[in-house]
Amino acid sequence: MLQILAQLIVSGISVGMIYAVIAFGYQLTFATSKTLNFGQGEALMLGSLVGWTVVAYTGYWLMLPVVLAFGLVQGAVVERLGVRQAIKTKSESGWIMATIALGIIFRNLAENIWGRDALKFPSPLPETPIALGGVRVLPMEIAIVVGAIAMMAAVELFNRRSIYGKAVVATANDRDAAGLMGINTGRVITFSYALSSLAAAFAGVLIAPVTSTGAAMGGALGLKAFAVAIIGGLSSGVGVVVGGVILGITENLTGYYISTGYKDVPGLVLLLLVLSFRPAGLFGRATIKKV
Amino acid sequence: MLKIEKLVAGYGKVRVLQEVSITVPKGQLVTLIGSNGAGKTTTLRAISGMLKPESGTVMLAGADITGMPSHEIAKRGLAHSPEGRRVFSTLSVADNLELGAFTRAIGARPRGEIRQDRERMYEMFPRLAERRAQFAGTLSGGEQQMLAMARALMLNPEVLLLDEPSMGLAPLLVEEVFATIARLKERRVTMLLVEQFAAAALDVADYGYVLENGRVTVSGEAAKLRGDPAVRAAYLGAAH
Ligand SMILES: Nc1ncnc2c1ncn2[C@@H]1O[C@H](COP(=O)(O)OP(=O)(O)OP(=O)(O)O)[C@@H](O)[C@H]1O
Ligand SMILES: [Mg+2]
Repeated sequence: MLQILAQLIVSGISVGMIYAVIAFGYQLTFATSKTLNFGQGEALMLGSLVGWTVVAYTGYWLMLPVVLAFGLVQGAVVERLGVRQAIKTKSESGWIMATIALGIIFRNLAENIWGRDALKFPSPLPETPIALGGVRVLPMEIAIVVGAIAMMAAVELFNRRSIYGKAVVATANDRDAAGLMGINTGRVITFSYALSSLAAAFAGVLIAPVTSTGAAMGGALGLKAFAVAIIGGLSSGVGVVVGGVILGITENLTGYYISTGYKDVPGLVLLLLVLSFRPAGLFGRATIKKV
Repeated sequence: MLKIEKLVAGYGKVRVLQEVSITVPKGQLVTLIGSNGAGKTTTLRAISGMLKPESGTVMLAGADITGMPSHEIAKRGLAHSPEGRRVFSTLSVADNLELGAFTRAIGARPRGEIRQDRERMYEMFPRLAERRAQFAGTLSGGEQQMLAMARALMLNPEVLLLDEPSMGLAPLLVEEVFATIARLKERRVTMLLVEQFAAAALDVADYGYVLENGRVTVSGEAAKLRGDPAVRAAYLGAAH
């Protein structure tokens, strides 16, 4: 009994880390531009499918840099096409519609290229579970946790140590003042979109060996990660990890004790709760300037 | 060094500046005074690219910089310490200063040079040295003001715009700020200073302009403005 519970919790953690990485991506663009890419789930899906194609030629590890580069480009495209104009005209909601529309386009594109079916993604690690004190863990599940934390830590290190990272933080603090320092803040915002899609694409190839991939994989992930980002706080890295892991575990428990058919429900209920309790102040907390 | 001519600027449909012309010669300190809402901050914003002018020209060291984005203007050597300090609150004092030199940091210049400049700032503002590792958002108002000024100086600017560097400071700190400005002047830094303490500003400045409702109404040698009865009555108060 307890063992099953422990098992459900442990495997919920790795899914939760995927939510955390996507939510982290939401935070990146929100920090610099107060906008979000509602096509984050599709960025994950595209990265994952590009990875599926590339992995056949290169193997898993060499596929990673290709997918990361693809994520960067894809994110920059979203910013240029969907967001830049809305920011320029200070449009309140233009970017919401634009990023959703781009997400749908990406999904259609993926369906035409890769079809609608789920595709098996080869795992770089052995697919036999390791027993850890009675709990069985897939090596890939451990890799997900390690990879997710490494990615977030790398971004944090970049922001704290390098001059370009500091320019990103400065833009997030005060865009006009950053401009006065000679920082091209428009480019910083493009970069944060690129980085946020890179995070999503990376999450896509981390989870694919466990869940398989396919054109339909993005939508629900993107929405649930959005709920995690709002609950965890649009500016707190620790918040999204905690929020993501709690959601991942809750889903597993729902799947086991209620029905696998309802696995997506907790995350979406969470989203509905968030939307109904903070409909206007959705982005409120993080926009209050810290002085 | 800095020459603006017939500058017209505003916010949306509201025109604030009506053909403002100001010249700041190399190595001189020029002050811009005027009552609240006269358009002083707007003038500085239109110069540094925070605001796009509707018409008129801004020339920096002989080059036309009108309407350029602020990051391009900064690259050409204009530093602007904006109204309200605007320090980067979640970065340390040291990082704020480093970003002040961003245009140099991304070029080929060796890092050592920027570090040396930062040490010079710490000498000039010892209080910042004590707090170098602290988040700028946790500094007191006066310390933030010093940081904003030091950050602007890190650009090694051709021209420095200062918008009310004494705003909200205790009298003792106001004196300190003016002493710093006087020291910068000795080092021949070209400056355009906006101040609410008009008398003190005219004391350190070489030349002054009075702005009223978006227009320059009086201008002249600082010493002369100081003696001008109309200026005295309107801006310097009876006590001065
Ligand atoms: N962001 C803005 N949007 C609309 N109007 C503005 C904005 N900023 C300033 N104004 C208006 O422009 C005019 C000039 O403002 P400005 O800030 O340039 O004055 P100032 O001379 O710097 O005053 P102060 O001494 O109070 O700082 C004012 O009437 C003000 O209401
Ligand atoms: Mg002002």
